[in-house]
Amino acid sequence: MPDTGNLTTGGIGDAVQRKEDFRFLTGRGTYTDDINRMGQTHAVFVRSPHAHAKIKSVDTSAASQASGVVGILTGADMVADEVGSLICGWNVVDRHGEGHKAPPHPPLAHDTVKHVGDQVAVVIAETLAEAQAAAELVDVDYEVLAANVDTASAMSGPEIHPEAPGNLCYDWILGEEATVDAALANSAHVTELDIVNNRLVPNPMEPRAAIGEYDMATGEYTCFSTSQNPHVLRLILCAFVLGIPETKLKVIAPDVGGGFGSKIFCYAEETTCVWASKKVGRPVKWTSTRSEAFLTDAHGRDHVSHVKLGIDADGKFTALKVETIANMGAYLSTFASSVPTYLYATLLAGQYTTPVIFCNTKAVFTNTVAVDAYRGAGRPEATFVVERIVESAARELGVDPAELRRKNFIQPDQFPYETPVALTYDTGNYEASLDKAMSMIDYAGFPARRATSEANGKRRGIGISAYIEACGIAPSAVVGSLGAGVGLWESAQVRFNATGTVTVFTGSHSHGQGHETAFAQLASTKLGIPFENVEVVHGDTSKVPMGMGTYGSRSLAVGGSAIDRACDKIIEKGKKIAAHLLEAAVEDIEFADGNFTVAGTDKAKAMGEVVFTAYVPHNYPEGVEPGMDETAFYDPGNFTYPAGTHIAEVEIDEATGVTEIVDWVAVDDFGNIINPMIVEGQVHGGIAQGVGQALLEGTVYDPESGQLVTGSYMDYCMPRADDLPSFRVDMTTTACTHNPLGVKGCGEAGAIAAPAALINAITHATGTMTVEMPATSERVWRALQENN
Amino acid sequence: MKLEGSYIINASKEEVWLAMNNPEILQASIPGCESLEKLSETQFTAIVKAKIGPVKASFTGEVSLENLNPPHSYTLTGEGKGGLAGFASGAADITLSEHDEGTELQYEVEAQVGGKIAQIGSRLVGGAAKKLSDQFFRRFAAAINGEEENPE
Amino acid sequence: MQNFDYHKPNSVDDAVNHMKSSDDGKFLAGGMTMLPTMKQGLAAPKDLIDLVGVGLNGITENSGSLVIGAMTTHADVASNATVRSKLPALADLAEGIGDRQVRAKGTIGGSISNNDPAADYPAALVALGATVKTNTREIPAGDFFVDMFETALAEEEIVVSVSFPTTAQAAYAKFPNPASRYAMVGVFVANGPDGARVAVTGAGSSVFRVSAMESALDGGFSSGSLDGISVPADDLNSDIHASPEYRAHLVSVMAMRAVDACS
Ligand SMILES: Cc1cc2nc3c(=O)[nH]c(=O)nc-3n(C[C@H](O)[C@H](O)[C@H](O)COP(=O)(O)OP(=O)(O)OC[C@H]3O[C@@H](n4cnc5c(N)ncnc54)[C@H](O)[C@@H]3O)c2cc1C
Repeated sequence: MPDTGNLTTGGIGDAVQRKEDFRFLTGRGTYTDDINRMGQTHAVFVRSPHAHAKIKSVDTSAASQASGVVGILTGADMVADEVGSLICGWNVVDRHGEGHKAPPHPPLAHDTVKHVGDQVAVVIAETLAEAQAAAELVDVDYEVLAANVDTASAMSGPEIHPEAPGNLCYDWILGEEATVDAALANSAHVTELDIVNNRLVPNPMEPRAAIGEYDMATGEYTCFSTSQNPHVLRLILCAFVLGIPETKLKVIAPDVGGGFGSKIFCYAEETTCVWASKKVGRPVKWTSTRSEAFLTDAHGRDHVSHVKLGIDADGKFTALKVETIANMGAYLSTFASSVPTYLYATLLAGQYTTPVIFCNTKAVFTNTVAVDAYRGAGRPEATFVVERIVESAARELGVDPAELRRKNFIQPDQFPYETPVALTYDTGNYEASLDKAMSMIDYAGFPARRATSEANGKRRGIGISAYIEACGIAPSAVVGSLGAGVGLWESAQVRFNATGTVTVFTGSHSHGQGHETAFAQLASTKLGIPFENVEVVHGDTSKVPMGMGTYGSRSLAVGGSAIDRACDKIIEKGKKIAAHLLEAAVEDIEFADGNFTVAGTDKAKAMGEVVFTAYVPHNYPEGVEPGMDETAFYDPGNFTYPAGTHIAEVEIDEATGVTEIVDWVAVDDFGNIINPMIVEGQVHGGIAQGVGQALLEGTVYDPESGQLVTGSYMDYCMPRADDLPSFRVDMTTTACTHNPLGVKGCGEAGAIAAPAALINAITHATGTMTVEMPATSERVWRALQENN
Repeated sequence: MKLEGSYIINASKEEVWLAMNNPEILQASIPGCESLEKLSETQFTAIVKAKIGPVKASFTGEVSLENLNPPHSYTLTGEGKGGLAGFASGAADITLSEHDEGTELQYEVEAQVGGKIAQIGSRLVGGAAKKLSDQFFRRFAAAINGEEENPE
Repeated sequence: MQNFDYHKPNSVDDAVNHMKSSDDGKFLAGGMTMLPTMKQGLAAPKDLIDLVGVGLNGITENSGSLVIGAMTTHADVASNATVRSKLPALADLAEGIGDRQVRAKGTIGGSISNNDPAADYPAALVALGATVKTNTREIPAGDFFVDMFETALAEEEIVVSVSFPTTAQAAYAKFPNPASRYAMVGVFVANGPDGARVAVTGAGSSVFRVSAMESALDGGFSSGSLDGISVPADDLNSDIHASPEYRAHLVSVMAMRAVDACS
């Protein structure tokens, strides 16, 4: 870890306030919808009201006569222009060695619509109101087909794609089934559980938006978009969908109000806006309504699993078998295939030494919107499986769930630890987090608290979740061997300006995470310059060299490490210039606290002076280029493995089944911390989302009609402040061993840990094996009835 | 969603059957039906203004009579497009049987809505469908009985 | 949203005349139901007649009753000192409607005219035996609420005020829908000169009274008297949030809680 030197504010480890918050809190951010281009038109999509239907005809005659209409484009126009299919960038190879089924995903449907909200046409008009009015006049004649929306039964339901018989996208395995079955058969005890991981609507505060613009003079396109990874969006649009040279498309993702994964993907709407901007010869703008967001943003989770855990007579885990059906929705979204496989099955060892593990994932198509990565992506599902089955096993065996975990933890001296599911954990100390969390919540005092609750007609429960995740995604060679279509390095450019300020260009996009602050802290400490002097630039493909974007808690571990490497190059070059100015050998120059010093002397040059010399090289070393601008690409050597323990305590009103979360402690190991305030905020937000999943949020499609029943906030329940307790957050630290910063990433941990902790607490209180998520008051009430 | 119920109508099965095939009575019975135009003996185009609380949507579509088995039973189907509001469709299996006080009309309705109304009004869809189907059969029974139902 | 003509009359008569001369008009109160419906394209009245200027807000006390003008907002009812002292249960109910923004705009007149099956006010009006005063007549609460989204109001009739007797002990127990925070089940219990009244909202297609509970409470006004009394689940609402059986159960629980809160 770099020396924090003599900086007292804004250095690494300082809880400095976020640079970006002034503009966000005062309404001065610039989001995509705030941008208006000269001659701009407005797009409204005509969407299918049916879950599954053949398009018999699209009649645009009345609509095209409507006031203000500039153009109406349909799926047929896209076919005529040979617009490509939206792609999935990760090819999962199934158990028979065949690639997954990725049926066509036309940005505008021309043959069949496959989910409610599927886009059929786009109406482009002078004003938004005119576009809306005209869109109502587009008459689409459908032949309604039977809808298939249920995950568990999807394979036997109506067929959705001729390319995917039985609606099967892939049937994938990790591990050896026979070995695991044998180990289970020889186990003293086997715990079994059916687990549903409920489907979630991501609900970022800012809905998606896009502006496409075409410059006839230069042949250049610009796409303003709410993307989490503008460079990847550019890559997909250019190379796969629209066939534009990468030099002719600029993607700008300005301030973005949250994404949680849902803004990683390349969607139909931005694709259509870019394409249409050339067709109508004017910029085309689209902003999603909240209703459209419910219908068309890629959803998260949606697994149905059957799980078996074997345990020997000493309470050691012998084997884990997981069979999962994962809903992909109607089309395979950008990274969808990787989520229930490589981001899920590989985490099934959890924090434990379970020797053999087998996972089978069947990914299925349904008449629902696509499912893809959502905060945690695969890892919350894995943690939920592991921590629910471990807790259930402890209860079946009548042992303390904390002790059962302790008995099976990977021990600190076992690292690096190779799991049976393809990962090598670099470092960790699981017992340390468990101990700290147990003491924070006074685990030993629980029986007395339970007695008090019972005296008041309340049931009390306590639940542990000892989670692990693999993030800092990802070593390119590893993901490449697993089917990824891209490398998952990150780039950084550090430009020292002549006057002593620094501009950091990063490929990691910030949409709420606070990169402008944390990355500035990093560069400021590393280069020994004031925090205020560092400006972070992201989200514009014409400014930033290249980037893979923000997801999988990768920005600091991968993007931050790239910045660190670029700073190293600055320092190396600075040493050469300083050596020249100080008339010393380069090898004798040391750099610390912003000063280059000749070792063992007090001869020194400040960074500022050295940089100035680089731009005004009147007295300059031979063979050294002027300027001070360095670029680095960092490809991580391994994933990082944040881990920790969350413990939730709940009180349930027996009469109504209402759950109140009365306490929550989180002890996380994120490695080294750059800004503890930002980290704590990420933990709070993550837990809130995890609580949302466990207690409140559930996406319901009508099983017969395939309509999205939870299509607005009247029915889709987001967590509110009064649903949550005051979280008590603490840390333990084992530094990551393979990145220069020793950091692990913290963005998803809360959402990964929380659901299992909460459901373990609720089932502890109800005394039932399970209560399905979201654990609504009715479900809890029924569980209590069942147990009485 | 499914709904069912029955009404006793003070008329013979044959009289009820005739009424069931009379477009004027059908129009008077369908809540909010502004027009019902005959395409054939068993097919009609309809304009229906549905009004549920603050929501007011105009549906245009078709009403047809199927599975005719005079004077015992038929299926009354309808489907309409309501623009931004979405669509509604339904099929009512109606069976007549003799009864002490005339004729018993039994119905089983299978109804579906889609689009905006389904997306944002799910908590109300069941109740609204029940209310509309009750209204239909109440008015229908009243029309045959020669009573004046407040057409609202 | 479609274009419409906006009218801002300054008297009730004026408002009624605007409505009579429009072939597709709607009154606008707080707009908390009307405007979202219009924005969604689910209503497109040609004329919107805003009642903000017709002088219908305000709360007055009137020999044993509290008269609340139709345009009085939920926030005003919740914070009004007279309501707080004479009919605290009503102030509590108003305080529990929606969120701060909704309470700042939504009105009692709009709420009861709309008669959403999950609205809170109807339970209070029915349990307290309130009277709805319109521009043409007075309607007892029991006759005012007809069915879901249906009231005794004629097309051009305007609610002027609601008059609540203040002679009863009363309390409202609400089980909010976790998502919308409308009432999944709300039970308003009042114990006044005419005996006990139990009115339920959220559970059925419109507010209803539970006579079995009322007579049990007349036999002894304590939650214990309600032990074992429940409403049949058959006709209750069913949605993804609660089954009819669970709603029926909640009616009993909330009724007991309301009775306990009365003392
Ligand atoms: C997010 C949200 C949460 C809510 N939560 C709750 C809740 O928990 N409990 C609850 O009870 N309600 C709730 N509401 C409803 C809200 O409290 C309002 O009472 C309701 O929307 C109607 O009142 P309004 O004044 O806004 O009327 P408007 O929306 O302006 O009008 C509603 C209807 O009443 C008619 N109308 C209005 N005033 C009169 C009058 N004086 N005479 C005749 N007709 C009239 C209008 O023409 C219209 O048809 C919620 C609303 C929202 C948006």
